[in-house]
Amino acid sequence: MASLDPVSGALGRKAAAHLLRRTTFGPRKRDIDQFATLSADQALAQLFQTVPVPPSPLPFPKDEDGGDGLAQEYFRGWAVEGMRQSGNSAGEKLTFFLHTHFTTIRGVVDRSGALYYQNVLLRQYALGNLRELARKICVDNAMLVLLDGRLNEAGSPNENYAREFFELYTIGKGPQTAADNFTNYTELDIQQAARVFSGYKNDDTYANLDPDTGLPTGILKVDQHDAGTKQFSAAFGNRTVAPIAKQGNQATPAAALDELDQLVTMVFDQPATARHLCRKVYRFFVYYDITEEIERDIIVPLGALLQSSGYELRPVLEKLFRSQHFYDLDNGVDTDDNRGAIIKSPLDLVLGTLRYFNVALPTETAALYGEAYPSLMRHMEDQGMIFYEPFDVAGYDAYHQEPGYHRNWISANFLARRYEFAALLMKTDMPFHGKLDIIGHVRDPQNITDPANPEQMVREFVDNLLPEVIKPERFNYFLNDLLLDNLSVFNWQAEWNAYLRTGDDAAVRGQLEKLTNAILQSPEYQLF
Amino acid sequence: MNAILSNGRGKSFNNEQPTYAMERRSFIKRSALWSAGTFALNQIPVNLLAGSQQLQWLAATANTDKVLVLIQLHGGNDGLNAVIPVSQYAAYYNLRPNVAIPDNGLRRYLTLDGTLPAGSQVGLHPDMTGLKALYDQGKVAIVQGVSYENSGQSHFRSRDIWYMGGDADDYLGSGWMGRYLQTRYPDYPDAYPTPNMPDPPGLEIGRGVSLAFHREDGIPTSISIDNPDQFYGLVKSVGGEPPAEVANTHYGQELAYIIGMEKNANRYAERLKEVFDRGSNSPGVTYPEKYPFNAPAGSLKNPLSAQLRLVARLLSGGCKTRIFLAKIGGFDTHAQQVESYNPTMGKHAALLYHISAAVKAFQDDLKGLGLEDRVVGATFSEFGRRPQSNGSFGTDHGTAAPMFIFGKNVNAGVVGANPDLSNLSRGNLPEQHDYRQVFTTLLQDWMGAPDEAMASTLFADFLTQKLPLVSDGKVITGEPSFVDARFRLDSCYPNPAKGSTTFSYYLNTPAHTTLRLYDTNGRPVREVVNEPQPAGTHRVTADLSGLAPGAYVYRIEAGLLKAAKTLVVK
Repeated sequence: MASLDPVSGALGRKAAAHLLRRTTFGPRKRDIDQFATLSADQALAQLFQTVPVPPSPLPFPKDEDGGDGLAQEYFRGWAVEGMRQSGNSAGEKLTFFLHTHFTTIRGVVDRSGALYYQNVLLRQYALGNLRELARKICVDNAMLVLLDGRLNEAGSPNENYAREFFELYTIGKGPQTAADNFTNYTELDIQQAARVFSGYKNDDTYANLDPDTGLPTGILKVDQHDAGTKQFSAAFGNRTVAPIAKQGNQATPAAALDELDQLVTMVFDQPATARHLCRKVYRFFVYYDITEEIERDIIVPLGALLQSSGYELRPVLEKLFRSQHFYDLDNGVDTDDNRGAIIKSPLDLVLGTLRYFNVALPTETAALYGEAYPSLMRHMEDQGMIFYEPFDVAGYDAYHQEPGYHRNWISANFLARRYEFAALLMKTDMPFHGKLDIIGHVRDPQNITDPANPEQMVREFVDNLLPEVIKPERFNYFLNDLLLDNLSVFNWQAEWNAYLRTGDDAAVRGQLEKLTNAILQSPEYQLF
Repeated sequence: MNAILSNGRGKSFNNEQPTYAMERRSFIKRSALWSAGTFALNQIPVNLLAGSQQLQWLAATANTDKVLVLIQLHGGNDGLNAVIPVSQYAAYYNLRPNVAIPDNGLRRYLTLDGTLPAGSQVGLHPDMTGLKALYDQGKVAIVQGVSYENSGQSHFRSRDIWYMGGDADDYLGSGWMGRYLQTRYPDYPDAYPTPNMPDPPGLEIGRGVSLAFHREDGIPTSISIDNPDQFYGLVKSVGGEPPAEVANTHYGQELAYIIGMEKNANRYAERLKEVFDRGSNSPGVTYPEKYPFNAPAGSLKNPLSAQLRLVARLLSGGCKTRIFLAKIGGFDTHAQQVESYNPTMGKHAALLYHISAAVKAFQDDLKGLGLEDRVVGATFSEFGRRPQSNGSFGTDHGTAAPMFIFGKNVNAGVVGANPDLSNLSRGNLPEQHDYRQVFTTLLQDWMGAPDEAMASTLFADFLTQKLPLVSDGKVITGEPSFVDARFRLDSCYPNPAKGSTTFSYYLNTPAHTTLRLYDTNGRPVREVVNEPQPAGTHRVTADLSGLAPGAYVYRIEAGLLKAAKTLVVK
């Protein structure tokens, strides 16, 4: 059975690499080496440390015609730069996870300010309380635009946000038992929730601040808020939400905001909400297929833990990332079901590669956010991920779309583009001036112990870049067919020594690039 | 060894599915499709064919020249503003005064067909002149009120249901196009390409892969492509040798999937470039690039044109793909569906124009390429929108909506009546047709799928509920054709005539109309009509004074339609 029992002792390289690949944007050899000596608890303490976020390039520059396009481009670049610079901290991966859940779409929101502040909100809650975050997001400026909350007024409801609040962000659908009944909630609940959400407008001045977060939030127009009593269905025990204080026919501002708390509390009191959120966590960090066994042994207990901890995410993550199940140690045999079983997103692929090989990006703000990141974003787009622009409001397909989930990252086109990115990295004419310098990489003993030893070098490459141990034939393909060109080990040593003597790296660089290309353009490298 | 393992996924909990859904799924897994040999292809049992690959190709590729082009309208198309229920106009207007298409003025709806029964009278959005023109040529059918029982209002779930071809409570891991194509090409992809099926059976225009083409396991029966030229260059230049063996673990299953996709790319990239290079589009046909009126900036560009142009070009180059899937997004019009100052303008108007104009160009292109006989197309959307509009000049998620079926071999007309807008079901339109009735009809009557294949596609229940959408090509003597029935030049009265006579004719569509009298030498002697005229029956009395007694011909031209009759002047 799948087990949440903790692992003990030092993690070792295999488990350390797995943990780092799933919870950060990709480890280097030295990171895996360091984490290998840690216990799971020590590793998590380090992962959950906060690291400084790179300074945001605020104020974002305007387009020449005063438009917001360049500013939004800066925002996206800054968000990814934070990930790239996040070292061995899980904070950025968790922020991205929250973005896949409480998602947004740049083209619809079309405001760099709202996108930026929502991202900061997610970052604040990356290891925080999911119930509070769900409450904050209801009146978040970007969300009010994305799902038409700003158009939702008393007497003229717009149910767009209310529907997705239930279906996507909180409790999720149960079996549909009638046209208007999804077990966990009904169409009536959507209508009633829309009344609770009525009367909030997005604030383009960003002057209205939430006292808890200090971040800009939407504005309540209390005269457009439906002050009546909202009667929910039996799915929620026929609970009601109503203003606790009124001024005339209107709810007081505090009472209107309090209704949001009542609603969120009502929905988060349901165990189904905790389980729905835990399934999202599981699919993002472990594997997409939630079997009956996983539901029973992992989701239900994690859901109970999430609820009993008052929806604090951290205890749940700690339980999961300490568990035998996460490390494939709960099934007796070495089936490696979870290690290497997730297809990397283009974001994971691109950033992981840049980080592993320490590919330099420009440091100057305009070059970094105006050129380098727009170029990287185009590569990711070619690979099927338009960052901050998922196809619909459920977020990127890979995190929710049955039956394939992460397989949505792979089409003939996308796959070829992923391979192409690796090849382009090795060329000198990349528009963002970053280049994978393979000679510099192998000469750093923190990456490759001894580049004159080809067998050990290839071993270090595949052990640290690929998620699983490869078969001897496969290893020989990389070593003999690619690096050595089917010549002897002694030949390589001679070539390497000739390079060290003369400084002419053409011969060894060519072979090393061939090897690296083959590893990066392999099906195995697409997985983590 | 080259073991590409199937993905034997276990039963999956998604949002606490009910047990019956899982039972249904295990039933599907056990069904005939996945134990080939127990069912027949074109009445030839498969096990007889097992030893002969060539025979198997023959069976599998019968009717291969028929092509289905599906256009997904993503977001939930507002059917009521595309196909306006003229017979219930007052109720329609009252439900949605801020977005209703007007029944008067320059931008009134286009009356589709005056010959339809009163209860079926519909109008098209004024920007759908392209589809209207195709209809008048007998190339468009509209199926009213398409949905499924207990339709939900989640985009994601509803889109999946349309793709997977199941009931509201089914959770299938495969799509109906994938299951159908698997019955025709059972050993895909490993036994393909073959001389008879050199192309991927399904082709998704764009870059991603949707549920529609998924089989129950293994890689999908489609590949996705946006630019064959570029794709070929790309595929040729990347990738190494994949691993030869994979383990039967989750890791191994994902690895096998990626390897399969990579192989497929290599398999088809060159061929698709070849047919693309060999193919062309009709020289005289221009696909629309932009919406010609004002609309929000993001809605101006026609996203369908390039997709349909690519389909036509691939087909003209000899591509034998059976099902193409194109997509157009932007239909989730909760707000600003129409402009506040004019309900016929805005986002939705542009989208309807894009569909109508691109489909018209596509059809003209196919005609020019001599491919019209091979292609039928259909639009679909996850749901329609609520009859009652909201305060944001938009509409919320609804249920049933019309589908457009187009092609030369379509039985033109309107299937189904207008919904009863005074008798809505929880504020929504009642279902008239299950979406699988339409797809069953298209797969069997058009693509020629035998009953067994329909069973494997999981559409067996709908075989008895097909719709009259596909014309069998036979001409029934004595019956006027669709076009003739909608354009009529009556005998003038009196005839023979002296002094004057009255001409009468019926136009089904507004057109610039000329009616002229010619002598027996073909010289025009009198012009009776020369002006744009509305649809309907027209009567015009002509002065015949000054004409020498004898035989004359009167000829009418209205748009593309022409007719002539004889008049004797006494």
